[in-house]
Amino acid sequence: MADKLKDRVAAVTGAGRGIGRAVALALASEGAAVVVNDYGVAVDGSGPGGGPAQEVVDEVVAKGGRAIASFDSVATVEGGESIVKAALEGFGRLDILVNTAGILRDRDFLGMTEDEWDPVVAVHLKGHYCTCHPAAIQMRHQRYGRIINFSSPSGLLGAYGQANFAAAKAGVVGLTRVLARELGRNAITVNAIAPMAETRLTEGLSQAVSVGGKPSRLGTPEQVAAMVTYLATEEAWNVNGKVFYVSGGGISLAYEEDMGRAINKDGMWSVGELAAVLPRALLEGVANPAPPPPDLPIPGRAQS
Amino acid sequence: MRSTEQADTETSSTSTPAGALEAKVAVVTGAGRGIGRRVALYLAQQGARVVVNDPGVSPDGTGQDQAPADQVVAEIVAAGGEAVASHDSVASMEGGSRIVSVALDTWGRVDILFNNAGILRDRMFIKMNEADWDAVMAVHLKGAFACTKAAAAHMQRQRCGRIINASSSSGLVGNAAQSNYGAAKSAIAGFTRVLARDLGRYGITCNAIAPMAATRLTVGMADMAAKYGLVIPEPEYVAPLIAYLASDAAWNVNGQIFYVFGGSVCLAQPPVARRTIFKPGGWTVEELIEAVPTQLTQFTDNPGPPAEHLRPAFARPPAAEAMAAPHEGAE
Repeated sequence: MADKLKDRVAAVTGAGRGIGRAVALALASEGAAVVVNDYGVAVDGSGPGGGPAQEVVDEVVAKGGRAIASFDSVATVEGGESIVKAALEGFGRLDILVNTAGILRDRDFLGMTEDEWDPVVAVHLKGHYCTCHPAAIQMRHQRYGRIINFSSPSGLLGAYGQANFAAAKAGVVGLTRVLARELGRNAITVNAIAPMAETRLTEGLSQAVSVGGKPSRLGTPEQVAAMVTYLATEEAWNVNGKVFYVSGGGISLAYEEDMGRAINKDGMWSVGELAAVLPRALLEGVANPAPPPPDLPIPGRAQS
Repeated sequence: MRSTEQADTETSSTSTPAGALEAKVAVVTGAGRGIGRRVALYLAQQGARVVVNDPGVSPDGTGQDQAPADQVVAEIVAAGGEAVASHDSVASMEGGSRIVSVALDTWGRVDILFNNAGILRDRMFIKMNEADWDAVMAVHLKGAFACTKAAAAHMQRQRCGRIINASSSSGLVGNAAQSNYGAAKSAIAGFTRVLARDLGRYGITCNAIAPMAATRLTVGMADMAAKYGLVIPEPEYVAPLIAYLASDAAWNVNGQIFYVFGGSVCLAQPPVARRTIFKPGGWTVEELIEAVPTQLTQFTDNPGPPAEHLRPAFARPPAAEAMAAPHEGAE
């Protein structure tokens, strides 16, 4: 075992499977004591059951590491508090929080129901609030902490049929940016990862992704876990408020969504002026991600 | 010009020229005050018939008052436009559905939806409670979902529609004490990007704005700006951009986020990959400790750097500590 995280205590949500599991194992292999949290639900969030968290704990312990299981849902304030409490009671502190817990209920927006929107937002976005809040209080007390949140390319770039998931995952980035600003002074860093990896949630996607016409495999959870582990180290003390794409051996820093191309006028624009100036000045080379089909009569299209 | 017919009929003698939005029906949420009010007035001036929605709550979402929405309707009607009031909250599916129903029941269609309603409960994250988080999420995020769900099906049937969401630099860039609001507003950016993809094929566009304007919600910010001799621009500046995005001319503008403040309109930088490191097979932690600061995050700011004495020992410049003492002594 390596010792980059010796004496550190981590909590990893959704750690029973997929990326969370790989993260828990990676942090433990660097010497961290780990709360392995997993509610044990199906991909769509239904049917909680205890299994996977304990299995990962057993795996960590078998390798000589320290870990305890937690079976709470992140989607309630009580659940989040209970996860942090498990770290404090089990290991006396909490240095690292990794928020990988997540579910999916994909549907085209026109067919999406409130029952598909609410649970996905509850687990991903409220779930980040529920764990970050008690963790931030403890980390501020310690004057040390590492929070690693999980966003998604879907939230950052857009994807069909994932209005619920993408909204929640983009929300995680906004939360990350605010927390980085608020907590940084106390030696707490807050960053986000937008991963692409083969897990239960991306089954089928790996077939659809192709590079140069050939089906391409997504990265592995272990490759994502390496970046999470790096962000959890003391050496990453000055990496804060950032968003990283991780896909296989590729790791990218995302642009911030600040102001890009601009048009300025002294005074109010008219609609006509904007129609004449805006597309040329701001949208040159910017594609419409889903233009209307050519045979659909679109008012305004004939003129342009 | 396609609007000739309308211009020739009744409205040609009023002070407004034939508008870009003749015959269109718009729903503006949170239209009783601030940006929403200005947008409702402007859309009406451009010829749109407008549902002026506002439950008349205080900035933190409490209370209720029908007067703000009713007054804006009266203003529009007095100027020769068409408008009806709606006092429902956007924060439930039923509310969203009722708001859109006002447009359908009154004018039989809905062409434009501006999801503008919002509240604030600013607080440092450590002090934030669940009620502050939930209330802000409910109005901004669930509210946008509820109204958009109600409108999108009709827009699909019409094979035309314009959805414009209100995001904010608070979420797109980050602002202390607004974790609830910032998270909701960046979520709306993500929501917008998917709506653009899901609905574009039906002739519907979905875009978002990140406005900066002097309203009830930015009073604190205005005071801060004043200290630096800055003035936050009036909300009326936001209106022409909304009207443009709602117009036929913007049929191919979809999935974008625009900052708008005063006479400035900026395209938000999409959060695509800025710098990339690649290693076949993946990286080790030791390699990342070397590579990330030198190849990925170099020349970027830490938006919340740790206090000097809380940096790890290896990152504390010994020179800085040595120099600090004589400085203090000299004063």
